[in-house]
Amino acid sequence: MRRSQLLATAACVTFACAPLAANAQFAPAGSGGAPTSTVPGPGNGSDNSFEPTESTPAVKSRFSGPSPYAPQAPGVNAANLPDIGSMDPNDVSQMVPQQSANPARGDWSAYGRDDSQTRYSPLSEITPQNVDQLKVAFVYHTGSYPRPGQVNKWAAETTPIKVGDGLYMCSAQNDIMKLDPVTGKEIWRHNINEKYEAIPYTAACKGVTYFTSSQVPEGQPCHNRILEGTLDMRLIAVDAATGNLCEGFGHGGQVNLMQGLGESVPGFVSMTAPPPIVNGVVVVNHEVLDGQRRWAPSGVIRGYDAESGKFLWAWDVNRPNDHSQPTGNNHYSRGTPNSWAAMTGDNALGLVYVPTGNSASDYYSALRSPEENKVSSAVVALDVKTGAPRWVFQTVHKDVWDYDIGSQATLMDMPGPDGQTVPALIMPTKRGQTFVLDRRDGKPILPVEERPAPSPGVVPGDPRSPTQPWSTGMPALRVPDLKETDMWGMSPIDQLFCRIKFRRANYVGEFTPPSIDKPWIEYPGYNGGSDWGSMSYDPQSGILIANWNITPMYDQLVTRKKADQLGLMPIDDPNYKPGGGGAEGNGAMDGTPYGIVVTPFWNQYTGMMCNRPPYGMITAIDMKHGQKVLWQHPLGTARANGPWGLPTGLPWEIGTPNNGGSVVTAGGLVFIAAATDNQIRAIDEHTGKVVWSAVLPGGGQANPMTYEANGHQYVAIMAGGHHFMMTPVSDQLVVYALPDHKG
Amino acid sequence: MPNTYGSRTLAEWLTLVLGVIILLVGLFFVIAGADLAMLGGSIYYVLCGILLVASGVFMLMGRTLGAFLYLGALAYTWIWALWEVGFSPVDLLPRAFGPTLLGILVALTIPVLRRMESRRTLRGAV
Repeated sequence: MRRSQLLATAACVTFACAPLAANAQFAPAGSGGAPTSTVPGPGNGSDNSFEPTESTPAVKSRFSGPSPYAPQAPGVNAANLPDIGSMDPNDVSQMVPQQSANPARGDWSAYGRDDSQTRYSPLSEITPQNVDQLKVAFVYHTGSYPRPGQVNKWAAETTPIKVGDGLYMCSAQNDIMKLDPVTGKEIWRHNINEKYEAIPYTAACKGVTYFTSSQVPEGQPCHNRILEGTLDMRLIAVDAATGNLCEGFGHGGQVNLMQGLGESVPGFVSMTAPPPIVNGVVVVNHEVLDGQRRWAPSGVIRGYDAESGKFLWAWDVNRPNDHSQPTGNNHYSRGTPNSWAAMTGDNALGLVYVPTGNSASDYYSALRSPEENKVSSAVVALDVKTGAPRWVFQTVHKDVWDYDIGSQATLMDMPGPDGQTVPALIMPTKRGQTFVLDRRDGKPILPVEERPAPSPGVVPGDPRSPTQPWSTGMPALRVPDLKETDMWGMSPIDQLFCRIKFRRANYVGEFTPPSIDKPWIEYPGYNGGSDWGSMSYDPQSGILIANWNITPMYDQLVTRKKADQLGLMPIDDPNYKPGGGGAEGNGAMDGTPYGIVVTPFWNQYTGMMCNRPPYGMITAIDMKHGQKVLWQHPLGTARANGPWGLPTGLPWEIGTPNNGGSVVTAGGLVFIAAATDNQIRAIDEHTGKVVWSAVLPGGGQANPMTYEANGHQYVAIMAGGHHFMMTPVSDQLVVYALPDHKG
Repeated sequence: MPNTYGSRTLAEWLTLVLGVIILLVGLFFVIAGADLAMLGGSIYYVLCGILLVASGVFMLMGRTLGAFLYLGALAYTWIWALWEVGFSPVDLLPRAFGPTLLGILVALTIPVLRRMESRRTLRGAV
C-alpha cells in the first residue's frame, strides 16, 4: 500500500465537511448493483469449468487483460533460459548431511538458523549485563535502493546466513554476495542484472540457501553452493567459494521458473523467500501479486533436484493427480492459492511444510474450486518424493480477508501424552491464532475449536463458512474486538471522526463478512497478528517469542463498474499504470464481479490509525509450563512516528506496527528491530525489559541474526526499510559487536 | 486609558480569536456529533457541542459567561471521559488533553472579558 493510496484529494476546507467524508473510501455509486449475470450460482462451482480455456473468446473491453493462453510477454523469462527437463524423483541422489542440520555453534546456516527454524543461537558472549556496550562493528552496502525516477517499492527484508568463513546474503534485487564476517569486506559478489520492472509489490530477498553436494567432490567448484530464488523467477546456484554460477545446475547455473505458468508479465509472480532443500529436493514457492485477476498465474509449488536443477514434481491444486510439468501450450491451473512465506523442510519425515495463501482475488470466493477451498490459508505438508500432500491443516475456511500465512513454521518437540516427545510445528497466523500441530499427521497437539463465525454474509452467491478454527490452547496474539470507545486521536476532533468511521462500517468482530453497500472493518488486519517475521523459540528455556500487530483494515467490495471508474486494472492489462491498484491495496480482482478497496483503518487526513495504541506488541510464551504468557508489552516507540507522518521524537513505548522477527540467544537476550521506530533493541528474555537499543540508518523490517567469528559474537540486521511501513529505505546491513577490549 | 472608543487591545483580539475557534469546534461537534448519535454512537459530542457554540457566541459578544460556559463544558468533558475510560492516560489523551489546554487559555481571558464587559457598561452609562 502506498502513502498516497486513497488519501482523499478533495480539500475539506471546513470542519463540517469532515464527518461527511468519514467513510470516503469512495462515494456510493448508487448505480451498478450486483452484476448477477456473472455470479455463478450459489456457493462454489463443483468443477473448475470457470477457468477460461483456449477456446474462450477474449473479452474486448478496455479493462480486459490478455488470455491466459497468450504467450508470455518478452522479459518474463528474464534470462531467456531454455526449458528445463524432468527427472524421476526416485533418481534423486542421497543427500549428505547439511550444515543446517546441525550448525556449528557460531554459525547461522539457514534463514531461521537451523532446519528447525528456531531462530535460537547458542551464543552467549553478549548478555543482559554487557549488551549496552554493543558498538557497530561494520556496515555493508548492498547497492540496491530506488534510483531517481523509480517508485519506492523497496523492503529488503534480508537475513544473511553464516557458514564457516562467510556471511552469505542477497541484495533486495537478488545480487548474491559473500562477506568477511569480521570486517564486512566483500569476498565475492555475483550480480544477476535484475530489471526494475521485475519488482512485484516489493523488492525483497529474505535470504539464500546453503547446500552441500553429494555428487561434486569436496574441493571442486560447487561442492558447496548458494541457492537463491529471484524476483524475476530464476532459481540460481552459485559456488559458495567463488560466487561463480554452477554449470552443472539447470542451464549454466539457472532454472527458468516461469516455465509452465502461462501468460504473465514481469512483476506478476516472484520469489522472495529462500527455498528449503529437503532430502536433495529444492522446493520453490512464489508470490502471485494479490488482487489482480481471478485467473492470475498459478500458485503451483514445485520440486527440483538440488544437484542438477532438473524438474521433479509439481503440486498444482486443481490437478491433484498430475505432478508433471505442463507441455505445449498448457499451463498450471490459474488462480490457485499461492505461498510466499518461507517454507520449512523436514528431512526425517520427508516433508516440506508449505504455509499457503489465498486463491487469486482474495476477497471473493465464489469462483474457487473445492480443491482450492481445502488448501487455502493452511499448512500443507507435501511429500518431497512425490509432491502430493500428506496432510493439510486449515487456519481459515474460505478466506476472504487476505489471512494468507506469512510466517515460517518453527519445528520443536512437545511432550506427548505418555511421556514420549511428539514432533511438533508451530504455525503463527495473521489472525494471532498460533496453531501447534503434530508434524506426522497435522493433528492439533494443543486444542483447536471450530467456533461459529458470521455467515452467510451478504455477497450474492458467496456464503461464508459457518465456523472457523480457534487455537484455544495458545495465548491469542490479539486484543478484544474493537468498540467505539477504542477510537483514538490527538484531540476530540479526530477521535470523533474515527468514531463516525467506526459506526459507518459493518463490524461484528473477527470474520465480519465482506460487504458492498458500505465498508467493513477487518480486525485482525492483513498485516497480522503475526506476519512474515515468524517466531523465535529457545528450546533450552522453552520460551517462544512472538511479535505481532494490532492494525485493523477498512475494506469494501466495489461493483465492476465502480472498480472501472476507480481505474483498478490488473497488472497485465495494457492500460495498467503502476499505482492504479496493486497487492495489499485496492485491486481490480478482474474476472470476478467486484473490485476491492482496502486501506488501513485510519484517519486519512492525519495518517494516524483510528484505534487506540498499542499497534504492535511482543509476547513471551512459556511452552514448557502450560503456554502461559511470561511477559508482554508494546513494541516500538513514537520517536519516528506521529500525525501527518511527522516524527515526534518521543521515547514513549507506544507500540508501533512491526514487520520482521526476532532472535533469541543462550545469552538470555532477544534481538528485534521490526517496529517503525527504526531501532534495534535487545530484550531480556526472562523479564521482557528492553536492555539496549540503537537507531538504525533505515527501517529494521528484517529478521536479525547472530553469529560468532574470530572468537566474538556479532548481531546483524538489514536496515533496508519498508515502503508499505513507510520507514526510510537504505541498503545497509548493520553488524554490532562488543568492543575489542571486552575480548 | 490606552483604549479609545472602537479600538481593542491585543489581548481582546486574541480573546475573540479564541471565541471563533471554540465556536467552530462547537459547530463541528454539533454536526458530526449528531451524525454519530444517529449512527448509534455516543451523545457526548452533540451535547458538548451545544455548550461550546453557546460559549463561543458569548465570548464573541465579549461576555464573561462565554468563558464560564467553556469551563462548564470542560468539567462535563472530564466527568464523561473518566466515566468512559477511567484513569487511563492513553485514553484520556484524545478526550481531555486538548480541551484542557484550551481551558487554560479560556481562563486567561476571564479578566479580559471582564474588562470588555465593564467598558461596555461604562459606554452604556454615557
